[in-house]
Amino acid sequence: MRNRFIDLLAILAMVLAFSAVTFAQTYGTKGYSPGAWKPEELPKDLSKPKPYNSHDLAGVWSSPTKAGYFERHALNDKWLDIKDKSIPDQMRSQTYPPPMTEWAKAKFEATKPSYGPRSVPPGLGNDDVSTCDPMGYPRDLYEANLRPFEIVQASDRVLIHMQYHDIWRTIWTDGRGLPKDADLAWMGYSVGKWDGDTFVIMSTGYDDRTWLDHFGNPHSDQMVLVERWRHPDADTLTLDMTITDPKAYTAPWVGETVTFVRAKAAIFEELCVPSEEEHFNDKIRDAAVGTAKP
Amino acid sequence: MKFKSAACLALILAFALAGVPLLAHHGTGVAYDTEKTVTLKGTVTEWIWANPHCGILFDVTDDKGNVEHWGAELGNPHALSMSGLSKDILKPGDKITISGHLAKSGAPRIVLREFTTADGRTLPEKGHKGNGALLTDEPGQ
Repeated sequence: MRNRFIDLLAILAMVLAFSAVTFAQTYGTKGYSPGAWKPEELPKDLSKPKPYNSHDLAGVWSSPTKAGYFERHALNDKWLDIKDKSIPDQMRSQTYPPPMTEWAKAKFEATKPSYGPRSVPPGLGNDDVSTCDPMGYPRDLYEANLRPFEIVQASDRVLIHMQYHDIWRTIWTDGRGLPKDADLAWMGYSVGKWDGDTFVIMSTGYDDRTWLDHFGNPHSDQMVLVERWRHPDADTLTLDMTITDPKAYTAPWVGETVTFVRAKAAIFEELCVPSEEEHFNDKIRDAAVGTAKP
Repeated sequence: MKFKSAACLALILAFALAGVPLLAHHGTGVAYDTEKTVTLKGTVTEWIWANPHCGILFDVTDDKGNVEHWGAELGNPHALSMSGLSKDILKPGDKITISGHLAKSGAPRIVLREFTTADGRTLPEKGHKGNGALLTDEPGQ
């Protein structure tokens, strides 16, 4: 009897575990969000797979699992133990930031995030996401909370369209190099080229007002971001990131390999509307901590 | 034996997957006391159907006729639209029964668990929301 109970428990647990993954893969097929077509209005052959080509990154992609997202940062693909207070404040993974410089420590201490062990209520914080201000890259990619992003390949550039906040990123592939002494940009400047089956993106020129993640880890205007994207099979993308930023970190920050899967959904409209968020903050979030405008 | 080991692993994985969303929403755990749930009856004064966050403003009147202005925090319309909500689901004057976790500050604000409309519909509906998360314990987040 006891064995039967354990077996039943096991089956239930497996169903629960794998159903979460299934939810991610069927994302967006159940409701009718703004910007979405109803399934019955779509052509029947939309889901027909196209031939696999390792250099064709085009498509809609998302993170394969939902859990752990909120407690990870841009360079981490592992779940973190959110209850383990012994793990260092800012990051709890194999790839937590290398030691910060004094400049970066001061910048980090000034951040008031609403995620992680230093969380404060959003009404008391200073996270750009609370006011729909630009979050920059790479944070934009990971802030998506399983919302998909779409890659579009043109003859002279690759475009990455992130559903969350409707952000477009341009990676030039026309042979140009990175600009010198360019004005800083929220999304930086990016150029890409193929190295075998790896699409290598180099980026610089990032405005240092953004955070690297929602824990408040900083970067400077000297940050150089190298991304290595691979497309090992029809339904998988992998990404390796390295951040080199000597003004902020005493060593390069080498991330773990992050995996994305092909999403069976289209991109919806999911803007962050400043006037709407201001009204929400005023009436709800700021009011919840007593900082609403009189 | 192998099956039992797999069972334990799957069980751990299942609870990890199911548990994380409880702490996931932006600042919820620090702004609201997720250990305390309150249920209120009120009248809607404003339905904020907005990007990226929705909210319900409502008045609660006590036995002596005193009116207190309350507010509830909800998630984004993209996710909520997959749980039976829409921009037309509420309007000023609607009677609702609403439950949620109280603001730690003591302000009359909650983060929503669920609400029931005058015609008996309880929302958000169970299922899954736009970001793929389960709607088991924290509907609308």
